[in-house]
Amino acid sequence: MIDIGKRTRLLAWLCAAPFLAVIFLFEILPIVAVASNSVFKEEVLSLGNYAEILFSKFFMGSFRVSFAISAATALIGLAVALPAAIVLRRMPGRLQQFVLICSNIGANFTGFPLAFAFVIMLGVSGSFTLLLARAGLIGDFNVYSTTGLVIVYSYFQILFAILLVLPGLAAITPDIEEAAFLMGASRFAFWWRIGLPIIAPNLAGAFLLLFANAMGTYATAWALVGGSANVVTIRIGELTAGDVFSDPNLADALAMLLVISLIIPIVIEQVVFRTRRPDA
Amino acid sequence: MRDRSFRDWFWIGLLVTVQLLPILAVFLNSVAVDWAGTILPDGYTSDHIRNITSDPRFTQSIINSLIVATGSLLITPLICVPAILVAYCYFPMLDKCMAVLVILPYAVPGIVLALGLLRIYSGNYGIVLNGTPWVLIFGYLPLAAPLYYVPIKSNLRALRTTEIFEAGRLLGASDFVIMWRIILPCVKQGLIIGLVMNFTLAISDFVYANLLVGGHFPTLQIFMGVLNGGSGRKLSVLITTYFIVIFVATAIVVWVTSRRIDE
Repeated sequence: MIDIGKRTRLLAWLCAAPFLAVIFLFEILPIVAVASNSVFKEEVLSLGNYAEILFSKFFMGSFRVSFAISAATALIGLAVALPAAIVLRRMPGRLQQFVLICSNIGANFTGFPLAFAFVIMLGVSGSFTLLLARAGLIGDFNVYSTTGLVIVYSYFQILFAILLVLPGLAAITPDIEEAAFLMGASRFAFWWRIGLPIIAPNLAGAFLLLFANAMGTYATAWALVGGSANVVTIRIGELTAGDVFSDPNLADALAMLLVISLIIPIVIEQVVFRTRRPDA
Repeated sequence: MRDRSFRDWFWIGLLVTVQLLPILAVFLNSVAVDWAGTILPDGYTSDHIRNITSDPRFTQSIINSLIVATGSLLITPLICVPAILVAYCYFPMLDKCMAVLVILPYAVPGIVLALGLLRIYSGNYGIVLNGTPWVLIFGYLPLAAPLYYVPIKSNLRALRTTEIFEAGRLLGASDFVIMWRIILPCVKQGLIIGLVMNFTLAISDFVYANLLVGGHFPTLQIFMGVLNGGSGRKLSVLITTYFIVIFVATAIVVWVTSRRIDE
């Protein structure tokens, strides 16, 4: 920390003020608005919206589908990104930076462009559907399904996972690796007994961010399967902008439950790894 | 050793190829005469490209997207970067708060924030921003903040800011001069990475654009949604255009950053 005089302090706060104001108006206030609207049902203060969701097979089903897709794609993302990041780490720094920038763009490749690209490849008459069907590998594959969502989500999840995992690998310095190999550790033994435990907190954090990323995905699901996908974000969108099912307060309650379902695991992760860190 | 590096390149090459496949598929579809029931298109043509460029909605959506992206690129760094720098140098407590604030959009999905913005800025509280590009420009700021915060902070960590300020003041420089002439150039790389990611975010978003402005100010992504029901060829041309725009922006940035490092 740097000592500053009164005048500089005032000017410095003035530099930070616009940022805090915009964050308050466009991040904090919207969350507060959603939270406060969610506890009103027909303009009366009540938890009725929450009860309606928690006792509805339909809405709870959408949470189940979202959870399954998100957990699966987060695991797929890590399973591909971790080996890829380990290999990338051995490559020149310039290439690493290039891959990081490209991954970031790919991780933003969502919504209509991504869904449409996969329909071209894996749709009813897509190239890969034909190739795989001719090879006898798939029977009646349908990209407009939960399996289709898992495949399409995996695309951006893998790239996002590389972005999250690569910086964490810096903790495994070459001297740790050399020391292990000098003592006769095999490559597998090294990663299993030394490498993975070092980056475990990092991987847990990455998993949660990937999970949250998939849980919050709206555009891609909407573009691929439209209203027929029973995932939470689609239900929220339908209750907000739908012609038939519009119920803004119920949408807000659903949104709050989505946020709560994401924040609880993040808090647990923080507690578990914070307490483990000192003796590690 | 050579064997291992060959295997490394093979795996990375495979990964890159798989990641590029969807882009290649869209491009092929945009120039295909007919592509149904076959593995590769029957023939190639530039008809679809001419077809869509004569559609006024096409140019309008590109212009709208560029307005939002330019607005976001002018306002976001101007508001975020000074705050990140002063918080890191002078106010460690504020820096801790910022770390939480910029991570928050990762735990709170975009659709939830969009829902909140819809409630607040539709006129219920006397402010109408929805339907205008302003709600997008300012709405993207919290989402773009981590894109500046993370790379700039990692640049800052490599600096010994306390010593730099002591030395600068000893030589009679004001804090503003130290920030502007020493600290800012040192975080230039992080800033540039932030700018590309901010641009990509602004041009790729569908959720905010769809819920908050929709047909009032159709962006590229909204127009893609409109075309999604109809001819796939037009949509392919649109998506290919979107990719070219992003690739050009990225290429410029990669070129600029690597040149600056070499100097």
